[in-house]
Amino acid sequence: MARYLLQRVFAAILTVFVTTIAVSMLIHLVPGDPVQIMYAQSQGTTPEQLEEVRARLGLDRPLVEQYVTYIGRVLQGDLGHTIRGEQPVLELLLLRLPNTLVLASAALLIAATIGMTLGFVAAYKRGTWIDTVLMTTAILGVSMPHFWLGLILLFYFAVQLQWFPVAGNGIENLVLPAVTLGLTNAAIIARLTRSSMIDIFDQDFIRTAHAKGLPKAVVLSRHALRAGLVPIVTMIGLQFTYMMGGAIVVENVFGWNGVGRMAIQAIFQRDYPLIQGFILMFAVVVVTVSLLMDLIYAWLDPRIRR
Amino acid sequence: MTGPGMISDTPIAGAPAPEAAEAAETAGPVLSVEGLSTEFRTAAGIARAVDGLSFELRRGEILAIVGESGSGKSVTSLSIMGLIPDPPGRIAGGRVMFGGQDLTRLGEREMQRLRGDGISMIFQEPMTSLNPVLSIGRQMTEGIMHHLGLGPAEARARAIEMMRRVSIPAPESRLGAYPHQFSGGMLQRIMIAIAMSCHPRVLIADEPTTALDVTIQAQILDLMREMRDSTGTSIILITHDMGVVAETADRVVVMYCGRKIEEAGVRDLFARPRHPYTRGLLGALPVLGQAGAVGSGALSEIPGVVPALTALPAGCRFSDRCALATERCRAEPPPLEEPAPGHRVACWHADAAEAGA
Amino acid sequence: MQNRVNRAVELAEAAGAMPGPAGEESYRRPGIWRRLRALLAAATVNRGARIGLALVLALVFAAVFAPWIAPFDPDEMGAGMFLSPPSAAHWFGTDEFGRDIFSRVIHGARLTIQVGVIAVGISLTVGTLVGLVAGYAGGWTERILMRLVDVVFSFTETLIALAAVAVMGPSLTNAMIAVGIAAIPFYARVAYSVTLVERNRAYFDAAYVAGAGHMRLIFVHLLPNILPPLIVVATLGVSSAVLAAAGLSFLGLGAQPPSPEWGAMLSAGRDYFTQASWIMIYPGLAIMVAVLAFNLLGDGIREALDPRQKHR
Repeated sequence: MARYLLQRVFAAILTVFVTTIAVSMLIHLVPGDPVQIMYAQSQGTTPEQLEEVRARLGLDRPLVEQYVTYIGRVLQGDLGHTIRGEQPVLELLLLRLPNTLVLASAALLIAATIGMTLGFVAAYKRGTWIDTVLMTTAILGVSMPHFWLGLILLFYFAVQLQWFPVAGNGIENLVLPAVTLGLTNAAIIARLTRSSMIDIFDQDFIRTAHAKGLPKAVVLSRHALRAGLVPIVTMIGLQFTYMMGGAIVVENVFGWNGVGRMAIQAIFQRDYPLIQGFILMFAVVVVTVSLLMDLIYAWLDPRIRR
Repeated sequence: MTGPGMISDTPIAGAPAPEAAEAAETAGPVLSVEGLSTEFRTAAGIARAVDGLSFELRRGEILAIVGESGSGKSVTSLSIMGLIPDPPGRIAGGRVMFGGQDLTRLGEREMQRLRGDGISMIFQEPMTSLNPVLSIGRQMTEGIMHHLGLGPAEARARAIEMMRRVSIPAPESRLGAYPHQFSGGMLQRIMIAIAMSCHPRVLIADEPTTALDVTIQAQILDLMREMRDSTGTSIILITHDMGVVAETADRVVVMYCGRKIEEAGVRDLFARPRHPYTRGLLGALPVLGQAGAVGSGALSEIPGVVPALTALPAGCRFSDRCALATERCRAEPPPLEEPAPGHRVACWHADAAEAGA
Repeated sequence: MQNRVNRAVELAEAAGAMPGPAGEESYRRPGIWRRLRALLAAATVNRGARIGLALVLALVFAAVFAPWIAPFDPDEMGAGMFLSPPSAAHWFGTDEFGRDIFSRVIHGARLTIQVGVIAVGISLTVGTLVGLVAGYAGGWTERILMRLVDVVFSFTETLIALAAVAVMGPSLTNAMIAVGIAAIPFYARVAYSVTLVERNRAYFDAAYVAGAGHMRLIFVHLLPNILPPLIVVATLGVSSAVLAAAGLSFLGLGAQPPSPEWGAMLSAGRDYFTQASWIMIYPGLAIMVAVLAFNLLGDGIREALDPRQKHR
């Protein structure tokens, strides 16, 4: 158990470490002069000002020195300042991160509930018309672009039926984006749940449970679901990362004020400090979530818990 | 749950009181299978895995059902338990009489009440037959609580008692452990403890030692015999291993392609096997073309393979592989005869086979 | 996603064993084309795979013959009235500039096929090389390469693609490259697993004993043998590449107006869809059908090759 967790923590630290290198070097991969590109959109910047920025960002110093300076600042919680407006990047991100997390969590809740239920039913009814209908729906769902589903939901429920406001940041604005992100991911979870549960239903210990004379409902819930939960929960944990990625797109459809929307604006404005901060923060969130999942996994599976 | 066993659960007009039935059964068989047929739908057509099988299990005896894989022995045990997956399988005919009831006609709920209580079962792979994510204690007590109607504390006490009886050291501290923390032999002991925990009258053991080391095998077989001696539970032992049969069984049913081809007391069978197939299983068959032998392990002496259930020979099902086969064998299935008391065999050349030995 | 890799690896290993017995003993394996044909023949037993293949062929047909199929020039403004609903003249209606949406969707198929080929081409090539070298070399090379792949893989492809576009700047070409880069770890993982399997086959040992050099072992012996299963896996990869690239274009980071790229069409039509729902329905539907086509094909092949399915 301890060994397992140590391994996971080490992997997490390594991921963040590699990310910091990638992020600090990102700006040098930009074709042409990044400083010029960054300020291309602002009027009347003089070459002297550009030089000053270059010096301030440390871009004129050796790469190793740049990295050491960067990591030193990051460790102190300083992610730099935005090009536009000179605002502290970390503050900006932390202001919007909760919105994104709320969206992704709500979507995960929807996706897990619907996806696991339908996947379980499909596995239990495998080979019947119910299975066929559910799995056909699921592959359509997997193939559906979420931004398109978002537009359709927006059009129908916000514009036509006017059940929800078109844009804003209240709880009533959360429903449509969460459903959008949730439904497409529910399809993925349903497919994975189905195949996991089919594997479980064929296991010897399920036969043993039946041979004990336990009622079907008990065999399904206590034995099958409990054993199936281990791979399914792991998979749903990984799905959270995927949701964070999806949230970037969906936030832009619904005007949800999260980090994803800000990141896209930053890319348009070539605001590299903000982009770098965003990627690093995303990495930390992903790593934290997957560590959390490893903990849950260890708790669920006695073979690891020990 | 109103009482022990299932007899009191099913009021039948004129049925004797439980005690009387118990007494009556001391004489008669505990379980009798009469003309059982089980079929599976497959892509190649309907496969009759068990075909008109009959046998009786007497009180306190260990009956071995022997055959190669595909002979229908495991399907027989699942048919008795009502655990044939349907579809693709179904019981196509016959009866399984237990405690005055035909099990093939019972509903799922009534069968559930019976499984693990009146009849219980253990399987080949102890490593995979227990749920890896539930504690041993949980898996032991759930059946006890369900069938005997005990509370958690009493069920726990019963589980500890059963673990002690199957010689699991320090049972109190092992209840919280998980299957991966035990060896295969220990797990099979636990499986036996679970199966015996509700005082079953019949225990079906489907290849209980096949997956275990040889030394462990003997221990498990000893344990099963001990259990039989102390509880009087009848055991159906399903195996392909004649060594296991010789060591453990009282009586033997030999199956081939879904049919019973020979039945006898264990001494009688080993001393005078009458069916050429049985002789092959015992490794004493006159060998025909050794090079063509495909079978493996204990059965390598019999050339050829078990025919597909969807493409069986018209006559005797063993005729393709039999050194003694004649035209008649290929055309006409031999009837089951009883050349000696308690010894039944289905072979046109049963006498010749014996004489040829 | 971890799961996606596992399933892809399973699929690749099943495909690697085709045709015939796994061939661990054989010293020669059939050529790439023969193996791909055998795989396709095996897959088309599956109904989903047949539907998927038909849709893929339809998509390719539309892309190749777009100028002849499309009734209007995709960029012709005022081909019809502004924002006119679907009619006999304009099957999918017209957009805010009076352009024929049907013609634009048909021409968009060209861009979609391009995205699929280029993006998957990049990720397949680089991913295969990384996985192949890691699997062949073993030792520290293997450990470092695969650890790195794992690290990059723990981000979503969306984020990697965004970072790549952020560096290169928005354009359809850059979006294709970005999507291609994002999927490299996926193919590297699969190629790595398949290489490990192939390395243990008799033909590899035979070549090694015969004194073949590293380059020869990698490119003449291993590469042709890991390609067929990887190409099968790539059918599934095309669907995610198309989806991701359309997403980038929708965000404005990929194809720019007036390109008839489907994601860009949705993005440009956003302001009008309350008055003219067809503006968003048809391009979106087109994306979905294209993605569905490759998903069905890939899933169908997987089902047809699933060894567990056969035993049931």
